Amino acid sequence: MANNETRLIRTVCPAHCGIDACGILAHVKGDRVVKVEPADFPNPKYRRICLRGLSSLEITYHPDRLKYPMKRVGKRGEGKFERISWDEALDTIADKFIDIASQYGWPAIGWTLGGPGAGTTKFGAYLRLASLTQSTRVSAWGYGDSGLPCGSRVLFGTHIPYGLLFGSLFTDPPPPDILVVWGSNPAEAQPLNVMRPIMDAKEKGTLLVVIDPRFTVTASKSDVYLGVKPGTDTALALAMMNVIFQKSLQNDAYILRHTNGPYLVRIDTGKFLRGKDIGAQEENEYVVWDSVSNSPRTRNAAESVPGLSGAYTVEGVECKTALQLLKELTEEYPPERASEITGVSADIISKLAERVGKAKTVTFVTNMGFTRTYHGDISFRAMGTLAAVTGNVTATFKGGHLPAVLNWKPFLHANPDKPSYARLGILQLYDAVISGKPFPVKAVWFSFINFLNQCANSGKIKNEMFPNLDFIVAADLFMTPTARFADILLPAASYLEFSDFIPFPYPYVQLQQKAIEPLYEARSDVDIAAGLAERLGYGEYFQGGEDAFIDIILDSKDSSIEGITREKLKQGPMALNSLPEMEQEFDIPFSTPSGKIELYSENLYEDGQALPVYLEPLEAPVSTAKKKYPLAFIQGHSRFRTHSMFADIDALLEMNPEPVVEINPQDAANRNIGDDDLVTVYNERARTTLKARVTEGVRPGVININQGWWIDQFKEGSVNHLTHDVINPVQEKIYEPNMHMNDVAVEVIRYKEG
Amino acid sequence: MKKRLGLIIDQERCIGCEACTVACKIENQGAKGWIRVKTLNVAQKDTPEGRFPDLKMHFLPQLCQHCEQPPCAEVCPMEALIKREDGPVTLDKEKCDGCQTCLDACPYDAIIFNSETDKAEKCNLCRHRINQGLEPFCVICCEGQAIYFGDVNDSNSRVAKIIAARETLQLHPVEGTGPGVYYCPPKTPRGL
Repeated sequence: MANNETRLIRTVCPAHCGIDACGILAHVKGDRVVKVEPADFPNPKYRRICLRGLSSLEITYHPDRLKYPMKRVGKRGEGKFERISWDEALDTIADKFIDIASQYGWPAIGWTLGGPGAGTTKFGAYLRLASLTQSTRVSAWGYGDSGLPCGSRVLFGTHIPYGLLFGSLFTDPPPPDILVVWGSNPAEAQPLNVMRPIMDAKEKGTLLVVIDPRFTVTASKSDVYLGVKPGTDTALALAMMNVIFQKSLQNDAYILRHTNGPYLVRIDTGKFLRGKDIGAQEENEYVVWDSVSNSPRTRNAAESVPGLSGAYTVEGVECKTALQLLKELTEEYPPERASEITGVSADIISKLAERVGKAKTVTFVTNMGFTRTYHGDISFRAMGTLAAVTGNVTATFKGGHLPAVLNWKPFLHANPDKPSYARLGILQLYDAVISGKPFPVKAVWFSFINFLNQCANSGKIKNEMFPNLDFIVAADLFMTPTARFADILLPAASYLEFSDFIPFPYPYVQLQQKAIEPLYEARSDVDIAAGLAERLGYGEYFQGGEDAFIDIILDSKDSSIEGITREKLKQGPMALNSLPEMEQEFDIPFSTPSGKIELYSENLYEDGQALPVYLEPLEAPVSTAKKKYPLAFIQGHSRFRTHSMFADIDALLEMNPEPVVEINPQDAANRNIGDDDLVTVYNERARTTLKARVTEGVRPGVININQGWWIDQFKEGSVNHLTHDVINPVQEKIYEPNMHMNDVAVEVIRYKEG
Repeated sequence: MKKRLGLIIDQERCIGCEACTVACKIENQGAKGWIRVKTLNVAQKDTPEGRFPDLKMHFLPQLCQHCEQPPCAEVCPMEALIKREDGPVTLDKEKCDGCQTCLDACPYDAIIFNSETDKAEKCNLCRHRINQGLEPFCVICCEGQAIYFGDVNDSNSRVAKIIAARETLQLHPVEGTGPGVYYCPPKTPRGL
């Protein structure tokens, strides 16, 4: 082929924005990608790219890319490395892993992987190796993203509730009457996948409501803005339900059909009354109060009409329906009280509640914002409960595209005859390394994660965790603040240099096609894992590279992806198979203990959280009166970065050169701080110094620093020097503890030297 | 009616992301993006006006307005700036001698001086693309799907239909330049 001919390769920008997964067309001249542009989609609404995707060539061709494997020669963190061969690097890692495993067992090796973004095989490859060696998979959900699943698991029995709450945004139905974007800024964080359909709906008449402590770009598009205090969202949701129940605007038929609201709860134990308590044959079945026979019946008893509210005495045991208990909880939060807690006017709370209660359809959009508070899982439940009692959670299915079901088993459990990996949440890893509990971890592998930069309480990571690790490996594209601490550093391929299967954006799946060979000595994550697997005796599981893994993932035989092949995907995205519209819709079974949306969770009774109770944030001050650290510190997401990716890209730095702390003019004036002044944000954990941006865009009492800036881009400290790593035991019980980046107390002063 | 290629920028849909600026720089290799996004009525970009929580924040992408009577072309001594028959005002870099007269003449601040090449630069409505029947690069890269391109004089075109159906504004109409770029202003919040 002539060298000056331009080839067009359809691939996918899989930057961690994940479900955006923009299809892009790479223009390749010779062995160089000269341009990327948004690729066509069957539905033109999906033709898209963002400013980061447009700048992504700068990642591939960045002069600072790691070019070859290196070993540390200076002190940890000093940044002194020496070039070595791939053979030496992989031999060293294999020897060291075997040595550590012989002393402490294989679980002492921890695979700490970032969010996989939209990729599958790069994540799968390391999991396969973790599974085969029975070492430890460190789950990254607790990296800020497990609060929402914790709440969603309790309420809906599902890990990710987006489909239930706002899946309709992606299937082009009539727009909802009201869209409530709660604690999320899709205009910057998910501009294409989420914000576009939001604006489409607004164009067609939907009322847009935004709830956020910051007046974000999303808020600037709203019809109604509620500037809530961080960590108080539960009180707001409870007050809205208070109004809705007062005015009887709840959807009784929906509550009856899809929630556990009518089930009787024993007041003495806090548990649901069961069939055995009333002498019914179905011993474990839930019990309702039949208003026809005026007696308790198991929930499926024929011809009974369950009472939704009220207190009943059954066999001498005092009982109330779950909905009754919820109503009683909301009675404690009239709008006036919630106004004091949340900082939102009682009038707005009442009016919004009434609008939501009366609307035919309300779509609630949220992501990981307010769930990054200590009780963020409850905030999610409170919002979801509000959606449920008004009948605004999708609970029926009558055809359409199926959700993708992929074949993860060969990665999660590679050898079915043996046990798979051990598992730790990311915050649990801190303890495992520092105090050996619940088991010691002595070596950590970091891939596509900037751990030190992005995880809570960086000082603890640097001073207590890293020194307790015998061995650190990092595979990355750049010398990130984390990579500097590696003992062996491996150059990873950029997205244009390897292939992967991308199961997004719903309802499509795509192929990320390698556009060029990896530059320098970089290797794909699949190749890196394969090189190590061979040395550990598992080479047979890694034959055929990325393509073989893509084929395994596609091979689920599930009807959702039947007929979709790698070969066909080379031509472009393919829609997931769909079921034709059925005449009768059927109820979606929820994977909760009751199979229904659980307004009341008996499993959390002992924790005092059977209902979505409002509990004060751990640190974020709800009143600023004379506290040592009176300001609530939160971390927004910027359009200029995807987490800590793109923080070193010139085209973006030109428009957004350095970190700033956003502070309200009132708070700034009280501290004699002017715009662009150098200030220090501090608490007992650390000091972080950067420029101030005095703006009405954050509520008084709150400061914001957008996350993702690298530690070395601050004058001192960083966002996560200020955050804490306190584990919420209830989240640990439900699923996995979250980091609470938006639940932090600080003070700000003008910067002083020294 | 003769063809008049132009743009509509919908401020209601614009999310101020600056993808247009990045896209333009990549496509045209300009010293700066030839389209730049201003946050209205404030000193610092991406900050709102008003008092918390009663705030507003609107974005205005600014670029060459492809005027009917382009003042820049009138003053250019080298005839480097021309008004094309079909609408775009284009700049021929080969002819530009770097005198910068056009920079002062443009009421929209849309012409940039590239000190490295010693020449003026501006949006040419991606002439290399539209000549091939493609849309300007900023249009296809706009995150908010807020920029529409087409023949504003063709009543069947999407742009003409939007102009007919919605309130549109033009920048500095008093100058009599006859801009070929129309703006749909942001909608007023409806409240509760």
